[in-house]
Amino acid sequence: MKEIEERLNEEKQRMAVMTAPADFENRLRTALDATPARKTKRRNPFIMMAAVSVLCFLLISYNYNAFAYYGKKIFGFEEIMTGTMKDLNDKGMGQIIDKKTTLSDGTVLTIDGIMTDANQLVMYYTLSNPKGVGELWGDVFNPDKITGFFTNARAGGGMAKVNDSGTEIKGTTYFDPVSPFSKKLTLHFWQGIKNGEGSITFPYDPNKAMQTQIKQSIKEKVKVDKGTITFKTITATPTSTVIEGKMDVDNFDRIHFGFEGVKLIANGKSIDNLGSGVSGSKFDLRFDGLPQELYSLELAFNEFVGYQKLAEQIPLNDDTHHDLEGKDLWVKKVTTTERGVEITIETDENLLLDGVSIQSDDKVTALKTTIGQRLDKKTDRFTSERTMVFDTNSMPEYLLIKGIHYVKKYNQKIEIPVD
Amino acid sequence: MNVVVVRLVKKAKRGSKDALMELIMAEKDTMYRLAFTYMGNEHDAMDVLEEMIVRLYENIGQLKKEEAFYSWSKTILVNLCKTTLRKQKKVVLLDNWESSKEEEQLHSTDSNVQQLEIAEMLSILNEHQKEAIQMKYFLDLDYQTIAELTNIPLGTVKSRIFQGLRKMKDFDGGEGDERDRRTIE
Repeated sequence: MKEIEERLNEEKQRMAVMTAPADFENRLRTALDATPARKTKRRNPFIMMAAVSVLCFLLISYNYNAFAYYGKKIFGFEEIMTGTMKDLNDKGMGQIIDKKTTLSDGTVLTIDGIMTDANQLVMYYTLSNPKGVGELWGDVFNPDKITGFFTNARAGGGMAKVNDSGTEIKGTTYFDPVSPFSKKLTLHFWQGIKNGEGSITFPYDPNKAMQTQIKQSIKEKVKVDKGTITFKTITATPTSTVIEGKMDVDNFDRIHFGFEGVKLIANGKSIDNLGSGVSGSKFDLRFDGLPQELYSLELAFNEFVGYQKLAEQIPLNDDTHHDLEGKDLWVKKVTTTERGVEITIETDENLLLDGVSIQSDDKVTALKTTIGQRLDKKTDRFTSERTMVFDTNSMPEYLLIKGIHYVKKYNQKIEIPVD
Repeated sequence: MNVVVVRLVKKAKRGSKDALMELIMAEKDTMYRLAFTYMGNEHDAMDVLEEMIVRLYENIGQLKKEEAFYSWSKTILVNLCKTTLRKQKKVVLLDNWESSKEEEQLHSTDSNVQQLEIAEMLSILNEHQKEAIQMKYFLDLDYQTIAELTNIPLGTVKSRIFQGLRKMKDFDGGEGDERDRRTIE
C-alpha cells in the first residue's frame, strides 16, 4: 500500500497537466454573447444626503466661497504637466500639501500638492527610495481613490517619470472631482506586489478650488442610424471641459470607435481630446481647458457608428475584392477544415459584417463564429483580417451579407452659445 | 501583470464582453481544473463555467477591488459548483445510482485504477474534508486561498485537512505514522 500523500501527489500531477477542452473559449463566448448587454447605472447614494446637507448649509448660513482662490505653485512637475496644467500652475492655482508616508517596501510617498475644480482633482506626488524605486511604479504604488466628506473620487489616468538614477518618481494622477464640503481628504492606494492597502489623509481647502468658467445645458439631439445621442451639459473649468449626455444607440459597441469622431471646436480650433467614458446609457467626453478669450464654441459631430442595410450575394473565390457600398471587402481564402467551412476576409478596422451566411445550392448556413482577428497597418489606415467559421462541410458558392456596421460621416454641427 | 488585469477589469465593468473573455482565457486551465475537481467530469464542469461567465458579466459592477478579480471569480465558480451539485443530488434516482455504479466498474481498467483508489479514499470523508483536501493536494492551493474561496476561517481549513488525512490513513489500515503529521503543518 502506498502512502496516502504519495497517492494524493500522483493525483495532483494528473491534475496539473489537465488543460481546458478545445471548445472552452467557444462555449464561454457563446454563453456570454447570449447574455443581454448590461446597463450599468451608477446611482449616487449620497445625492439625498447631499441635498439635505445643502439645506442645513443654507440654514446655518456658513459663509462659503468656493470661487476665490489663493493657491500656490507646485514645483518640480514641469516635465509631466500638459500645457494647460502648466499655465495654471504658473498662475499659482495649486494647493501645497507636502504630506509623507512610508510604503511597505521602504519607499517614501510624498503628496506634494493638488489642483481641484468642478471636473477633477489632480494629485502631484513623489516616490523616493535610495535603493531604487523599480521600473514599474505600478507595483510599488497604485492610487485607487480619494475619500472624504461626500467624496468618493476614483482614480483615472496619470503620468509619471523616473529620474535618471532610478531613485525617484514624480507623477500625477487624475481623480473624479471632490466635494467642496470636504475639509480633509484620504488617498487610498494599493502597494507592493501583494497589493496591500494603504492610505494617507491630508487637509483640503475647498476655497482654493478653481472657478468653473462655463456650466450650461446643451440639450441637442443627434439622430444616427441606430438610435439617438443627446448632448446634455457642458462644464468648463480651468483644467478641463466635460460634456455629458445620454445615448441610445443599438450598435454603439459593434465597432471600437466610440466618440473619436466628435470634436470640440473653440475659436475655430480643435480642443485636445482627453478621453471619454461610457457607463450604460450615459457618457462623458473630456477635453482640455478652453481658451480664456472665447468667441465661439461648437461641437462637431463628424463621425459615428452607422449601419447600412445590404442584400449582397457575393460569389466566393480566393483573393477577390468586393465593394460594399463604397467599403472594401477582400475575400482571401475559402477552405474546409474539421471545424467546417472557413472564409478568411479583410476589411477596414472598424467595419463589422452583419447577418452573414453562406449558400451552396439552396442550403444556407449561418455564421457560427469568427476567429483569429489580426490588425494590419496599411499606409493610410488599419485593416482587420479574420476568419469566419460556418458549421457545414459543403463548399459554398455565395457569401450572403445583410448589413454592415461602420464609421459613418454625419458632419453635423452643434453650436454652443457663449456670452 | 497586475496593471493589465486592472485595466481589463475596468473595461469589463464598462460592459466589454471581450475584456471579460480575455481575463478568463488567461486563467482558463486553472478555472477548468477548479470546476473539474468539483464536478468530476468535463460535461458538468463546462456547464458550470458557462454559467459562471454569465454571472461574472452581470455582477462585475459589484466588484470593488479590480485587483481581486480572480479570487472573486473563483469564489463565484466554487459557489456555482456547490449549488449545482446540491441540485444534482436531489434528482439522483435509484436507477441512476445503480447504473452509475455499473459504469464505474466498466471503467475500472488499469489506467483508471489509480483514480478509483483515490475516489474510494475520498469517499470516506465528509463533504467539507473532501473539498479541502482536493483543493490543497490536487489543485496545489495554499491554506489562505482555500479559506478565501470557500469562505471559511483559516483554522477550520487546516483542521479539516488534518482530520481528513487522518481519517484516510486510519481507513488505509493505520499505516500513517507520526512522521506524516509533520507534512500537515
